[in-house]
Amino acid sequence: MATTDRELAELTHHKAPHKLDLFKGVKKLPLEEYFTSGHRTCQGCESALVMKLMVKAAGPRTIVLGSTGCMYVANTTYYSTSWVVPWMHTQLGSSGAAALGAAAALKALMRKGKFKDEPINVIAFCGDGGGADMGISGISATLTHPDYNCLILMYDNESYANTDIQLSGSTPYGAHTTFSPPGKTKRIMHHRWKKNFAAMMAAGHPTCKYVATVCMSYPVHAMNAVRKGLSIGGPTFIHSLDPCPKGWDYDPMLSHELGELAVLTGTWPLYEVENGVVKLIGKTRDIADGRVKRLPVRDYLLKQGRFAHFTDDDIDYFQSKVDEMWNKWVVPGVIPFQKHLDEDRPPA
Amino acid sequence: MGRLYAVEIVYRGIFQKNLAKNISRAIVLAAHKEGKPGISFGRYGDSPERNGIPAKAFAIVATDEQTLEEGMAKYEPTQVDVSICVDDTLFKGVESWAWYGLQPINKLVKPGGTLIVTSLEEPAALAEMAHRKEAPYQLAVIKAQPSFSGLWVYKDDHTDVRILGAIARVCPELFSLASVQEVIRKDTKDELKATSALRSFERVTTYEVQPTQGNPEEPYKFEMPKWHEMRDGIAIPSIAPGHKMKDPITGTEGGFQPARNPTFKKYATRTMRPVVDFDKCIKCTLCWLACPDSCFDVTPENLYDANLEACCGCGVCEAVCPEPNCVTMVNETHFSDNSSQWQAYRKDAEGYKANLASLIATRPERSHGFRFRGQYEEQVPAIIQAAEAEQQKQTQA
Amino acid sequence: MAEAIITPHVEEPKKKAPAQGDETSLITGSEAIAVACQLADVDVITAYPIRPYDTVMQYVAKLVANGEMDCEYIVAEGEHSQFEIVKHASACGARVFTGSSGVGWMYAMECLTVTPSLRIPMIAMVGNRALDDPKIPSRAKVDAFLPRYDRKDLLLHPDNPITVAPQANEDWLMEIRRGTAAAMERSAGVIREAYADFERIFGRKYGNPFFEEYMTDDADVVLVGMGTLSNPVRVAIRQMREEGKKVGFVRLRWFRPFPAEELAKSLGRFKAVGVIDRDFSLGSPYHSGVVATEVRTALYQSENRPQVVGFICGLGGREVTLPDVRKMSEIVSQAASGKPQPATQWIGLRE
Repeated sequence: MATTDRELAELTHHKAPHKLDLFKGVKKLPLEEYFTSGHRTCQGCESALVMKLMVKAAGPRTIVLGSTGCMYVANTTYYSTSWVVPWMHTQLGSSGAAALGAAAALKALMRKGKFKDEPINVIAFCGDGGGADMGISGISATLTHPDYNCLILMYDNESYANTDIQLSGSTPYGAHTTFSPPGKTKRIMHHRWKKNFAAMMAAGHPTCKYVATVCMSYPVHAMNAVRKGLSIGGPTFIHSLDPCPKGWDYDPMLSHELGELAVLTGTWPLYEVENGVVKLIGKTRDIADGRVKRLPVRDYLLKQGRFAHFTDDDIDYFQSKVDEMWNKWVVPGVIPFQKHLDEDRPPA
Repeated sequence: MGRLYAVEIVYRGIFQKNLAKNISRAIVLAAHKEGKPGISFGRYGDSPERNGIPAKAFAIVATDEQTLEEGMAKYEPTQVDVSICVDDTLFKGVESWAWYGLQPINKLVKPGGTLIVTSLEEPAALAEMAHRKEAPYQLAVIKAQPSFSGLWVYKDDHTDVRILGAIARVCPELFSLASVQEVIRKDTKDELKATSALRSFERVTTYEVQPTQGNPEEPYKFEMPKWHEMRDGIAIPSIAPGHKMKDPITGTEGGFQPARNPTFKKYATRTMRPVVDFDKCIKCTLCWLACPDSCFDVTPENLYDANLEACCGCGVCEAVCPEPNCVTMVNETHFSDNSSQWQAYRKDAEGYKANLASLIATRPERSHGFRFRGQYEEQVPAIIQAAEAEQQKQTQA
Repeated sequence: MAEAIITPHVEEPKKKAPAQGDETSLITGSEAIAVACQLADVDVITAYPIRPYDTVMQYVAKLVANGEMDCEYIVAEGEHSQFEIVKHASACGARVFTGSSGVGWMYAMECLTVTPSLRIPMIAMVGNRALDDPKIPSRAKVDAFLPRYDRKDLLLHPDNPITVAPQANEDWLMEIRRGTAAAMERSAGVIREAYADFERIFGRKYGNPFFEEYMTDDADVVLVGMGTLSNPVRVAIRQMREEGKKVGFVRLRWFRPFPAEELAKSLGRFKAVGVIDRDFSLGSPYHSGVVATEVRTALYQSENRPQVVGFICGLGGREVTLPDVRKMSEIVSQAASGKPQPATQWIGLRE
């Protein structure tokens, strides 16, 4: 007879996750802050907003582990901090390991009666450099461990932003970074397409019960994703797209608007994969259902200095790749499998 | 030993990174034309820069190599002949992201030295905004709106060359106008920029600041503990949970005020500040929710009061507020303190509102970098023209 | 050789009757370490395959599978994660164990650069090759010896909200390093106390915790080494003693803190010293191994400075043979008799 989930849970002494109710709207959000003022981030830093809303959703019984990046260097510059909840640094590629270590410790200590048995959330975050580049093996390993309750959140500002904007595996095609400057003979130095990281995590880890993409321009969904990730049990993953005024080169006032544009142009689809079921969220669902027309990517790209060198051909190519996500992918906007192959023709 | 010249450029991180680099580089090149060796560098502790957070670049020049080496023997000069401030709101103080406390803008200006600033404010008002200094120094004002752009697309509005022209005027022994014009021509192949440097050379206004002038406040400081006073394990206490707020009139308690990082305040990052029309607030929560700096205190009646010690002036609150003129970013130079707007409103709603109306009416056009491709190309001719006109007006006056 | 060891050194078995409650068994050193983890009630263990370290984890896995050990046994996806997992588990209050061998340590090294300053106890073994018959102490004795792991105000827990390891810039790093250095300075005293407690509770005496001496009382020359060397060295020394050669052996137990003063004082008694390194540090002073460099440094301040000859041998797990040891002793004796010797010599090399 096959082992049931419940039997498996007993065998591994599985610990019940923290049950957190979903928020019903902005007016129902708690007033308390667990990540507060005095961090040393840029004006209009959307990743700092991720930190704030992530712990606002998780609440005070939370341990946060942060890997190297802006959200480490700028938020926690020794002798000061902006964290109300306990926080600890982990190495650049180690968000997966950190989440696992903390969750394992709590599980062992509570089981052995050394600590009071109570729900404590474990969240480890990483940037796109620490996650999609260097941290992928650790995150992937953690997502295969069904018996540890933890959430890994990747805040993706699409570059190594702390070290002055070098391209990462998450930087969009063609973007200007200090490692991909448009030059006299090469207009486009960065020819790689952004990793489809959340879907990769969802598709490749059957033990991971919850994966979501979020954007803080849609804060209630983002906070509920954090709550679902912490409540469902086992390791979970959230990928947040964070407009970055420094690296994307725009007026910091527009952080919120650029997040909206990323979603409304279909460049950044919001979805969640819960127990293997894919669900498009909010405006992304409206786009998929035809209730809202996708905006042209031009509206998004030309508001950012990092794409100021784009020609019309470059913009058209970018548009064609986004169109492909929506028109050709077997699961539109999510999984890049197609039924037949078209030739890829990037502009010269 | 020969003569050493030190110049600092105090600027807004990222927004003015390229501007500061252009200036410090041209200083060294112009001095080099006159046989003076030099070096230009950014302050190590400011890297990586953050949008808006004050940063510094230096140009060190000497009459000979050996003197230059003496000048380079320390990370950062303790005194400068010329300080250049490319945004007048920095006159309120400079808090770098990497260290602790607020430095007066004129801290390094040596007695009798010059502080050059781009501003639309009057020199006397600027002198009052800066911290008081024991010895007199000179202000040199270039009438212009501070120039902001971003990391990749530079707004070439001649601010750099205008400052270079002004340096030639206030510190001719460092380099002459002819030398710096030569550098500008070679670098930019743009005769108009060489002319802009000349105009600024001719028209920069100077003003003597006396020890009686300026903000008498002791700037916020932080004493660094000794090694044995620090907690083991690189651990520091978290920020305390927050508390309820108290209405100054009724004494009612409610809402929420988060506790905040006591050693980094971030207000020196701000060039515009949000003002809130509490009567227009529909309590949608969006400013409070979207603020990356958690700067909004929630009052007992669920209004949102921007805490001005914590606000870095990004403007996201104004952008997300659905009500026109409810949250508005206004000119930071019009304020001399960081007190609570809500308390002022509770104590005198009419007075508060009257002041608010005038602040909104006189707010400057926002200039915080890239908004759309082609924007700078559209703006620059008008900016250059306006700066010309302002300077001309100044000369005539 | 390994005797319930949780530090990366090995011990000689004591030939006396087991104390009450202890049990003698014939197990490998690796198995002994697994049993030590069990007795120490380790909470979180991480495993990753690399020879010979992984043999310990194979035993741990059996203990866990058989319900003989209650811990979180995590198979990591690489050494870097192995070390980060236990670092964070320890920060959260768990007693932890991990380890690696060879290049695995190199891959983990980034994590190890930060852990000491965080004051996070982490037992990590360096797997070498060793085999012997240790006595396994009773659980009660182990509990009496090991204090409860209590991080006090350094515990990462919602009841103790702290920020750990924020980014430290040039304004702070020296002070932080100085604090860590002070802890390391104190550690020599802690090590002595722990050895005294160990002797009191388990009835086993090791003498000087930092290095042991074998047949040095009347020795003219000594060999110095650490780790898995002592077996062939001792046998060779006994053979040479029978031939009338006054050779002794000094085996280091602790590399950090390095017992510089005490070791210099001891080595100053001999006419010449040969240092056997089973490692090699490219481009180091005199192209030596790391122990020779440390020994020379320790001796520099000493009044009596015998000539030091460095030997590189047994790299990559190659056997250090009795003839090898005899050859090294011979070279050191030559040095003692005034014949200059090259500062570093490779032994057991095909040449």
